[in-house]
Amino acid sequence: MNMNRRDFLKVGAAIVPGVSAANAAVLSYAASGKQAPPTAGKGDMLYRRLGHTGVLVSALGVGGHHLGDFPSVDEAVRLVHEAIDAGVTFFDNCWEYYNGKTENILGRALKGRRDKVFLMTKVCTHGRSGRLALQMLEMSLRRLQTDHLDLWQIHGIVYDNDPELAYAKGGVLEALDQAKKEGKTRFVGFSGHKDPAFHLKMLELGYPFDTVQMPLNPFDASFHSFEKQVLPEVNRRGMAGLGMKSMGGTAWAIKKGIVKPGELLRYAMSLPVATTISGMDSLEVLHQNLRVVRGFQPMTESEMDALRARCAPTAADGRFEPYKVSLRYDNPMTRLPHGFPIDSTQREVAEMLEKGDAPWLPPRTMPPA
Amino acid sequence: MAEQHEPGERSRSTLEIDRRRFIQAGLAFTGALAAGSIFHSSDISAAVPREMTNTGPDQIPRRPLGKTGEQVSIIGLGGYHLGTMRSLDDAVRLVQEAVDAGVTFFDNAWEYNDHRSEEWMGRALQGRRDKVFLMTKICTHGRDKKVAMRQLEESLARLRTDHLDLWQIHEVIYENDPDLHFAKGGVIEALDEAKKQGKVRFVGFTGHKNPAIHLKMLAHNYPFDTVQMPLNCFDGTYRSFEQQVLPEVNRRGIGALGMKSLGGDGQPILHGIVSAEEALRYAMSLPVATTISGMDSLEVLRQNLMIGRGFKPMLPEEMEAVRQRCKSFAADGHLELYKSTKKYDGRVGREQHGYPPPEQLPL
Repeated sequence: MNMNRRDFLKVGAAIVPGVSAANAAVLSYAASGKQAPPTAGKGDMLYRRLGHTGVLVSALGVGGHHLGDFPSVDEAVRLVHEAIDAGVTFFDNCWEYYNGKTENILGRALKGRRDKVFLMTKVCTHGRSGRLALQMLEMSLRRLQTDHLDLWQIHGIVYDNDPELAYAKGGVLEALDQAKKEGKTRFVGFSGHKDPAFHLKMLELGYPFDTVQMPLNPFDASFHSFEKQVLPEVNRRGMAGLGMKSMGGTAWAIKKGIVKPGELLRYAMSLPVATTISGMDSLEVLHQNLRVVRGFQPMTESEMDALRARCAPTAADGRFEPYKVSLRYDNPMTRLPHGFPIDSTQREVAEMLEKGDAPWLPPRTMPPA
Repeated sequence: MAEQHEPGERSRSTLEIDRRRFIQAGLAFTGALAAGSIFHSSDISAAVPREMTNTGPDQIPRRPLGKTGEQVSIIGLGGYHLGTMRSLDDAVRLVQEAVDAGVTFFDNAWEYNDHRSEEWMGRALQGRRDKVFLMTKICTHGRDKKVAMRQLEESLARLRTDHLDLWQIHEVIYENDPDLHFAKGGVIEALDEAKKQGKVRFVGFTGHKNPAIHLKMLAHNYPFDTVQMPLNCFDGTYRSFEQQVLPEVNRRGIGALGMKSLGGDGQPILHGIVSAEEALRYAMSLPVATTISGMDSLEVLRQNLMIGRGFKPMLPEEMEAVRQRCKSFAADGHLELYKSTKKYDGRVGREQHGYPPPEQLPL
C-alpha cells in the first residue's frame, strides 16, 4: 500500500501497455480493499492491481489444472493463445497438476509470449523441506520454458498442521526467500481450499506473502467462509486476494439449477480480489467467461446478498463445496506426504500409479515431534 | 468403531493383524490403582469421578450412565461390525458370549448394513433381552418426526423387543444437523414422543465429525441422557472431543459414550504408533460410561474382555505420555479420517444432505 496512485499507474502502464483510460479507474479499487470493483469498458479486459506489488493483472485468470483436461495439447495451447489475445494476463499452474503435464502444456503455449503474461505456479512440498521445494522450482521452470516466475505459491495448505510445517526451520518458506533472492520468482504466496482457520494461521505467523489464493463463491459466503474470515484480513495486510472455485469446484449446484455460471463468475469478480482464476476446459467456457468480463458491472451489495441468501440453505452442509469437507480436491500428491489415503477412483491417481509413483517423492517423513 | 461406514472400506485384515500383534505383546498392565478407586483424567477439569462396580478380577466393571441411575459395562459391543460377520450363527455366538462374560451395553443403528445388524442382534438377544442395556440409533438425517417414529417401530421389530433402553440420533455430522433436528416437527419431538409411549427409556445423540457440532446440539439444552463421540489418544490433541465436548457432557451429568478407540480403522496400530491394548485402555480411562468397540470375531471379543476384566484405568501421567507420543501423528487428521474426510459418512445421511454416494465420493 506504499505506492501512490501515480506510481501505480506508471507501473500499470509498463506492465500492460494496452491498458485503457477506462481501466485506469479500476486502479483505486484494490487499494480500498472494500469497495466493489469498477466496471470495464465495452470489449475491454479488466485489469486490477495485485495488492502492494503494484503489478496489474487481468481480473480473469486461466486455471492451470483444466489445461490437462483437453483432448489434445494443441487444443489447450489454442485456449491459452486465445486468452492472451483477449487480454488475459494471469496464468495459474502447479507443479503437481497431472504429474507436470499442465506445466508442460503452458510452457509450450507461452513460447514467444512469455512477456505478455503474469505467470504463476505452485510448489508442492506439503510439509517437506525447502530443499525439495527448490528442486521442484527448477522442474517447474524447465517445464514452463522460462527463467523466472512472476508468482510462486505454496500449494495446498489444506491440513491442520500445514502452517506449522511450512514455517518450520528448513521448510518451504526458506525456499521462497531464496527463489526471490535468486531472481527466479518476483512474488510469493500460498493457496488452499480447505479451512479459513489454516489460512489465518499462515497469515498470523507473519511471513510477508504477496498473494493469498482461496475459494470464493456465494456458497462459501455462508459455510466456513473465506470471504468473511480471510479476504478482509488479506486486504488489510495489503496482500492480493486471488479467488478460485467460483463455480464451487464442481458444477453440482449449476446442474441442480440453483445458480448459473455467469452469475457465479460475476459474484466472484465483484469481491475485492485481484483476479478470479477460472478453470476452462474448452474455448466455449473461455468465451462465456469473456462475455462476463467484457462490460463487467460489479454486483451491487443487495444483488450479492440476494445470491448469498439463495445459496445459503444448500451451502449449510457443504454439499456444493466438496473441497472443504472431503479429500476430493486434495491432490494425491498432497495426501501422500501427509499419510492420507489416495482415492483409486480418481483419474489423477490412476495416472500417478501408471507412472510408477513419483521417484522424487521421498518416503513419508513424520512431522517433527 | 460403531459409526456407519461402508462394508469393505474398513480393513478386516488390519484389525486381525492388530489383534494378533496385541496378543503377542501380552498383557503387561502397569496400572497400579486399586479396584473400585476413583480415577481422573488430566486436562479434564470437569471430569466426574466415576466409581466402578463389578470390579472383581474376572468381571467386566460397570459404571454409572450419567444421571440415569443405570450401570453399564465399561465395554460396549458395537452393532456395525456385528452385521459384517460371516453368518447369523457367528453373530449369535459373539453376542451370547459377550452377554455371558458380563458385557451389558449393546450398540446398534437403524441403518447399519441394510438393517442386518439389528436383525442379527435381535435374534441373538432372544431370551437375553433383560440382561442387556440395548441402544439403537435413529437415522432421519434431518427428516421429520414421522420418519423417526416409523424407524423406531422397524428397529423394535428387528431387535425383537417392545422397548429400547437408549435411542440416539445417529450421525450428527453435518453443520446444519443441529438446526434440522431441533426444527419444529423434527426428530427431537420424536424422542419426546417415544419416551412418553414407553418405547424408549433414555435418549441421546452421536456423531464423529466435529466438536463444534456436538456443542451446538448441547447448546439447545435439551435433556439428553447420553452423548456418543470418538475418543482416543489422537483425538486428545486433534479437533478434540476429549478437550471440548467430554468436559461439557460430564458437567451436565450426561452419560458419555466413547467410540473409535482405535482411530476408526486400526491404522495407528498397524503403523506401530500405539498398541491395541494401549489405545483401548486410553479410551476406557477417560471419564466415560462405556467404550463402544466394534468386534467382528470371537478373537476380538476375547481380547477386549481380557483388557476389560479387572480393568485399572491409566494414571493421568500415563495418559499424558500417550497423548504426547501421538501428538505429531494426530496433527493433520490422517489417523482420524472420520473427522478429516467423508470416508465414514454414511449413505443415508449423504442422500439426505445432497452428497454423492460413497462410490463416487469415497474419501
